[in-house]
Amino acid sequence: MAVSNKKYNVIDLKTGKLDSRIFSDPDIYREELEKVFGRTWLMIGHESLVPKVNDFFHTYMGEDRVILTRDGKGKLHAFLNMCRHRGNPIVRTDVGNTKNFFCPYHGWTYSNDGSLEYVPGEEEAYYGAVDRDSRSLIAARVETYAGIVFANWDSGAPSLEEYLGDARWCLDVAFNRLDAGTEAIGPVKWIEPLNWKTAVDNCSDNYHVPTTHLSAILVQARHFGLPRLTHEAQFESPSKHLFINGHSLTMRMLDRPDQARQTHGVTQENRSLFEEYYRSTLAEAERRLGSVRAGKLQLGNHSIFPNGVLGLRLAHPRGPLETEFWHFVVLEKGMPDELKRALRMGSGNYNGVAGLFEQDDMDNWRGVSRSSLTPLAQKYSQDLSMGVGRAGSDPDFPGTVAERYTSENNQRSFYRRWEEFMNAESWEDISIEPGTADFEGTATMNG
Amino acid sequence: MQDGIPDEVGMTAQTFGDGVSQSELWHELMQFYINEAWLLDDRKFREWLDLFADDVFYFMPRRLNVGRQDLSREISEEGDLAIFEDDKTYMTMRVDRLDTGMAWSEDPPSRTRHLVGNLVIEPLPEGDLKAKTAFILYRSHHETDENIFAGSREDHLRKEDGRWKIYKRIIVLDANVILAKNLSVFF
Ligand code: FES
Ligand SMILES: [Fe+2]
Repeated sequence: MAVSNKKYNVIDLKTGKLDSRIFSDPDIYREELEKVFGRTWLMIGHESLVPKVNDFFHTYMGEDRVILTRDGKGKLHAFLNMCRHRGNPIVRTDVGNTKNFFCPYHGWTYSNDGSLEYVPGEEEAYYGAVDRDSRSLIAARVETYAGIVFANWDSGAPSLEEYLGDARWCLDVAFNRLDAGTEAIGPVKWIEPLNWKTAVDNCSDNYHVPTTHLSAILVQARHFGLPRLTHEAQFESPSKHLFINGHSLTMRMLDRPDQARQTHGVTQENRSLFEEYYRSTLAEAERRLGSVRAGKLQLGNHSIFPNGVLGLRLAHPRGPLETEFWHFVVLEKGMPDELKRALRMGSGNYNGVAGLFEQDDMDNWRGVSRSSLTPLAQKYSQDLSMGVGRAGSDPDFPGTVAERYTSENNQRSFYRRWEEFMNAESWEDISIEPGTADFEGTATMNG
Repeated sequence: MQDGIPDEVGMTAQTFGDGVSQSELWHELMQFYINEAWLLDDRKFREWLDLFADDVFYFMPRRLNVGRQDLSREISEEGDLAIFEDDKTYMTMRVDRLDTGMAWSEDPPSRTRHLVGNLVIEPLPEGDLKAKTAFILYRSHHETDENIFAGSREDHLRKEDGRWKIYKRIIVLDANVILAKNLSVFF
């Protein structure tokens, strides 16, 4: 490893050597809860999960329990689920609708805008000395992107728009295509025996697909008439592999604007229905995204720094070697029910805890995360050397673009970004790439 | 007696369709489920698949953790994201996958034990049956991985060529967050 006075120097960009202790060391884990999860914009849900006033959805920011509420005026909030008296969680359910949160320990009661409304014995037991205003629920900053709700604990962090940067140019293609917006269904939740970073770095690992997922590839070719995905096809693929501002993205090229997107759930049988759908929505998409993004590109695998895995799917840290995974599916609201059903079944049956594809990832990811558990194995770094020096700028795409779709450039860059957060004293030390993308069309952060 | 459970004292006079008594049917179904459990635990997945009708809907909704006033939201509905939402094609893909020799989540395969009981049956129109069972599924994998899944199953069955076929199965786990790396076994 190169010599550096930085505390964390875990990835060597020239050799691709990665220090595997970052997956299992408890001290590193504790520090990343603060320096990564305490500073970044984290996806916590979707507006469609709290559609009505007074709805709430229980979520997480790192290991911290968080309540996403929509108050009586329709405004979104994210609160630490912790009573200001003794710290007891005031919400114990996944979802609900209430104006007030009542702490079941001693009865302190908060409004869904966070203010402490009622303290039993305020006059008698406390002699009127409780300053209720200073005991509101702890609130995070909340911002949304096309209906996806993000929150951030750090007042020094840039806006969500700056944080996403030109990654949004790519994300728009999937999440911001139509006026009606999207809805999220789910999540399916399960515990994975691995470090959260392994699940995230895998999003750009196009290399693993033909090996890890061969059985699923074979049966989907047999039953759905889909082309068999091979190593050769991946190596020759014109799809792009980009890294922007910490976020990993892959973009696929469409042969024609109404081409059925390559998504779980699209089959030889229903393909023409999808094409009809893309044809009928093309004009609207072009108005919103411009003709290139509406008709020439499809968003492929991607991750949003730090822990977003393929859109709104979350790898919540639960200790160095445990991750609580949340699998949501985001669908375009106006899509015909038959197509929604196909995508829902496809996404649910390919990914998720029972997914034909995803179930085969687990033991591999666990193996990667646990490779550093012994002093002996720890002496040997992991290898992310694929395509070193083979990435740069591209006239047609923002960010750093790898020469090939199969490359470990995004994984190296992900760990470099992680290092940047871990070594920073504050957001002052954390870079934001200047935006260069041309956001053609009318779509904005607000949909 | 309770609905669908045979009375210990005189067998019920209630008949289900063709003059078969409830207690005979209950025993027939119980044998069906014992057989199903052995097929799964003996890894005879093709034969297991054959217990399902071609138009089967195999569904495992999510189980939410909700307050008493929200119990109507406890089990996610069709249209929401489910844990399994399979038709016969998807079920067949799951079984075919195991035969490719490259289904890593099941190679080496899980060692399972399905315990099925608490059977309650109820007649449906046209001689079909609704059968509810409770199950415990134990899974051991690799050296030390262990999972216990508990839940209920509600099946709708019809006779096809003299054999019961399941055309709808709703599996409801009792767990909220699933404490398993994956669900590569069948329920
Ligand atoms: S801890 Fe909440 S009221 Fe005491
Ligand atoms: Fe994978």
